[in-house]
Amino acid sequence: MSKILRSRNTGLILVLIILLIAAKILTPGLFSTYMIINTLQNNAIYAILAVGEFVIILTGGIDISIASQLAFVGIICTKLSCDHPTVPGVVFFLLSIVLGALCGALNGFLVGYLHMVPMICTLGTMYIFRGLAFVVSGGEWWFAAKYTQSYRWWAIGKFLTIPMIIWWTVIIMVIVGIFLAYTSAGRRIYAIGTSRESSAVAGIKEPKVTFYAYIICGILAGLAGMLNTSNYAIGYYGMGEGFEMTAIAICVLGGTAITGGKGRMDGVAIGVVIMAVVNSFISMIPGMSVWQKTLQGGIIIIAVAINYFTERSAARQALRERGALI
Amino acid sequence: MSDYILELKDVVKTFGGVRALNGVHFQLKKGEIHALMGENGAGKSTFIKVITGVHQPDSGTMLLEGERVTFRNTADSAKEGIAAIYQHVTSFPDLTVTENIFMGQEIKNKFGFYDWGAMRKRAKELIEPLSKEIDVNKPMGTLSVAAQQLVEIAKALSRDARILIMDEPTASLTRNECLQLYRIAKDLRDKGVSIIFITHRFEDMYELATRVTVFRDSTYVGTWDVDGITNQALVKAMVGRELTAMYPEKTAKIGDVVLEVDDISKEGYFKNVSFNVRRGEILALTGLVGAGRTEVCQNIYGIMTPDSGHIRLEGKEVRIKSPIEALKLGIGLLPENRQTEGLVNELPIYQNVSSATMNQFVKGGQLDVDAEMKNAIELCKKIQLKANDITAPPSSLSGGNQQKVVVAKMLSSEQKVLIMDEPTKGIDVGAKYSIYEIMNELACRGYAIIMVSSEMPEVLGVADRIVVMKGGRVTAEFTDVKNTTQEMILEASLKERSQSA
Amino acid sequence: MPGSNYDRDLTVKEGFVLSKFLVKWEMILVYILLLINLILAVFRTNLYFQHGTIQSIINAGLDVSPMVLGMVFILLLGDIDVSVASQMILGGMITGLMMDHGVPWIIAVICGIIICMICGAFNGFCVAFLKMPAVITTISTSMLFRGIVEIVLGENSLKNFPKWYNKIGWFNVGPFPLSMILFLIMGLIFCFILHRTTFGRKVYIVGNNPICATYSGISVTKVKMQVFILMGFMAGIGSIFFIGRMGGGVSSSMGTGYEMTAIACAVLGGVSTNGGKGKMYGPIIATFIMAFLTYTLGLLGVDPNSKKIFTGVILILTILVSTINKQMIKDFKLRTMYHNNKNIEALHDRTNEQIKELKKQIKSGKGDASKLNAKIAELKKDCAEKSAKLWEDQKADEQRAKERYSTK
Repeated sequence: MSKILRSRNTGLILVLIILLIAAKILTPGLFSTYMIINTLQNNAIYAILAVGEFVIILTGGIDISIASQLAFVGIICTKLSCDHPTVPGVVFFLLSIVLGALCGALNGFLVGYLHMVPMICTLGTMYIFRGLAFVVSGGEWWFAAKYTQSYRWWAIGKFLTIPMIIWWTVIIMVIVGIFLAYTSAGRRIYAIGTSRESSAVAGIKEPKVTFYAYIICGILAGLAGMLNTSNYAIGYYGMGEGFEMTAIAICVLGGTAITGGKGRMDGVAIGVVIMAVVNSFISMIPGMSVWQKTLQGGIIIIAVAINYFTERSAARQALRERGALI
Repeated sequence: MSDYILELKDVVKTFGGVRALNGVHFQLKKGEIHALMGENGAGKSTFIKVITGVHQPDSGTMLLEGERVTFRNTADSAKEGIAAIYQHVTSFPDLTVTENIFMGQEIKNKFGFYDWGAMRKRAKELIEPLSKEIDVNKPMGTLSVAAQQLVEIAKALSRDARILIMDEPTASLTRNECLQLYRIAKDLRDKGVSIIFITHRFEDMYELATRVTVFRDSTYVGTWDVDGITNQALVKAMVGRELTAMYPEKTAKIGDVVLEVDDISKEGYFKNVSFNVRRGEILALTGLVGAGRTEVCQNIYGIMTPDSGHIRLEGKEVRIKSPIEALKLGIGLLPENRQTEGLVNELPIYQNVSSATMNQFVKGGQLDVDAEMKNAIELCKKIQLKANDITAPPSSLSGGNQQKVVVAKMLSSEQKVLIMDEPTKGIDVGAKYSIYEIMNELACRGYAIIMVSSEMPEVLGVADRIVVMKGGRVTAEFTDVKNTTQEMILEASLKERSQSA
Repeated sequence: MPGSNYDRDLTVKEGFVLSKFLVKWEMILVYILLLINLILAVFRTNLYFQHGTIQSIINAGLDVSPMVLGMVFILLLGDIDVSVASQMILGGMITGLMMDHGVPWIIAVICGIIICMICGAFNGFCVAFLKMPAVITTISTSMLFRGIVEIVLGENSLKNFPKWYNKIGWFNVGPFPLSMILFLIMGLIFCFILHRTTFGRKVYIVGNNPICATYSGISVTKVKMQVFILMGFMAGIGSIFFIGRMGGGVSSSMGTGYEMTAIACAVLGGVSTNGGKGKMYGPIIATFIMAFLTYTLGLLGVDPNSKKIFTGVILILTILVSTINKQMIKDFKLRTMYHNNKNIEALHDRTNEQIKELKKQIKSGKGDASKLNAKIAELKKDCAEKSAKLWEDQKADEQRAKERYSTK
């Protein structure tokens, strides 16, 4: 399988190169440092959400409430920050982690301990968080003027000329990547996604692992909420709608098996970059913005279809090898 | 101090309202191989789960070297050096062999992170003496069942097991692999490991064990020295009655050729397979697991289509592209795995029985459920199904009765050829006999039956003709079953390709 | 047993049992529906006497109803379709565009439905033939279909639809809303298809065990294709209901979240998302519950956005309630009252049974009542003492176990 994954990743990189060449021809300004940083900055939120979704998909579940969590946590942070402008931004950064963890804990409790179907459970909590976001906001919108500098620093502040939000994204990817590959807790997430029965026999407490996986996802969604408001300096209850689809799309594009247990962080990273390039394409070519949904939808279908065909051709190859022995 | 390393007394375990273990005893001596036998559903699997701490007993005591112990989970039992290899290999197919071995007791570096390098090295050291062919970096799912079992053994060894429990390890192994397993088990025993060996096969018991304990219907029947008990007495202990004849008398008259398979091949599965089967004949298709027998049947039944070759039914050439066409032509298949291929556990028995022949009961555009039930009851009576009523779900039945439901399903339409893939796999002795009776009766009615089976006594006892396959090719055909011996079949199923005709 | 002539009666002995019927999930849904109405009737009594209010509640909630019926089939297969709302809008757009170009309405409507069926067929193709997971497929096709609407319509909206569309959303036939009558007729047809035809049976078999279905001579791909196309058809019908309700207009941002409502209704109606479990009646009742619930919340002054909280909570609660059963209660008792000790549980069960028996004797007047009462008291005391001892034992055991394993 690792071979296929590797070949899949090379395939994705090829696609990426083709996209970049096309971009170069169509929009010559794309490769300026400014543009690259700008593109990454605009897609960082998707990347953070995708990492959270990745953890959930590895357990064999799915979380479609992340965009609502983003809105909920983002609104709370925004509201508190605007009401208390003297409080430093770091408080809200930490607050978003706590709130996100709580949201995730609710999902994790329902899915892990009460054994609800992830899709349906998070469908329910998606409604709940979105509704709560509205209740908290009271329907109000917040714009740039209301945000404090110390709040905004967490996304747009610069370190080594690169915006903080990009640093956070990279840090999150590295930490979660190491967590998944090199710690026993991380490997248990793969284990329950691979086989629940075996996990039970191996003494892995599936409810607990699921619970913590959703908490991780919640934390990342919460962080994304705070950073999203901080980055764009706009907050309203409907923000982020549909982001969960993009996050899922990135995971699938990166070769994560929707059935759980299979997938790697490097794949997700490549998925993020491809999605970023496509998005910047859309934003740069005039009249393309209406194409965004169609393109994204098409990309996921094609990505999954490619997954299917690579797996089938691998199976056929295996058959041929075995056939030679008969 | 007792001479027993492990002793269980009066263990009771219930699930819901069902007693899975009802006051069973067990004593394991240090450094012995102890066989645990019993029919399916006798409680053997539950018993080992109690020993390993997967389940906690409701009552009863467990003594480890004379000291009372309570295992709260598998980690506790692992610390005491108890390891188990379960019946359905409980591995993580997507994770590598290395990771499977170390799941739950990973080697970490001083920062608490995985030390993949050290784990790989240690895994190699553990696997090497067992098999030289297993690559520790490959995902578990890519290995054969036998190789996976070796990995499980390596896993047990990595935990310095003092007590090793093997739950039907030979059930899906080939003869060669069994021999290898026997060797490994004996090695371990000589090193002082005590082994509990759960098995269905007498062969395993005679080969390995010094003592045998028998369970029946969740209760303890007795423990004997293997030398001190006859085959007959052991069967009686397991079944609770004496079986006079293992196989019914054959009464069918053999007629003309019905199905002829001519030189069919399927890439990756089998090559140049030819045989035929006649009216009223039971043809056994045997060989080792993985010889391509099941796949040949699937190609006849239309699950797959052969790449080349011809299939002729009553002299006419047919091309079967799906099970729908096969059923229309009068070819039925009793699948090997009744749980996944034969039954819909959630639907009532009658709907299972009629699932292949629903169209018969359509009246005025809708299903006539009464007629459907009546038909199902008739069929189920014929095969003496034991069930509450016809609307009970198959999951409430025992393994043997579940198999009967699948048989009833195949009987619900008239057929010319019936393929039965391992019809008696995993069902108890009593139920086996009634399946043989049904086969016999069908043959009398003019069915041509192809039976796939790995159990040689069964092949010799039931079949009129035997075809042996090895590695995707037919290696031998025995027409004179009376004068065929197990050794002859075994030889044919181990034959190298160069020797085959 | 072999040889014995033993004949077992396999006929169904248990006929209709009222007590079982009354606690069926469908009946519970009926109670919930009645309860909501009761609450409404108490707090807003005038509603029930005002002309047309109840009808408008029903009308308002039924625009999603055709898609609920289709969704039941999809969920029974163990799949899911979140692209239905997008299909609905796409179908509506086609109809609207054709009407704009002067195509006769009948052709326009049929074309709209056919487009939806093509969308369904595309989903079906991906799921059945390419074996793609339904969640992912339909998430992406929902973006795809809605994206097409966005490309074609942009910010514009279509206004030109057949006049009778509005009637479906707003018209009453006597005391009954037209939409309800149509929904019930469709519901009956779907009940018939699911519970009385071979197609329905095949859906159940495929949903429960697709491999077994293949071996039984059922084409899994064909059944899945048919169901997804049926879903598309219902999305097309749904577009008529929806546009009628919306007063005859379509724009690209309309109808978001309808797929979730449809799924919620089906799940609330007792259809398992794992496939193979559920009936048609439940979702039909659940659709009405949803209609009344949304309206009630509106009456109570809850704004549409906060209503989402209730929808979510109800969805989660109903599923949780439906999973609670005797076993769970027993487990809970075991964990809380009996210290997780099965011996204590068994002792209590036994004692309770004996006490029940004795009480029966007292009731029937047999034996000396005071003597029997004394016996009961004794039994209770005995039970308490014994369980205390068992609990002591267990604690000691656990203590020992802890000590043992903490050192190793």
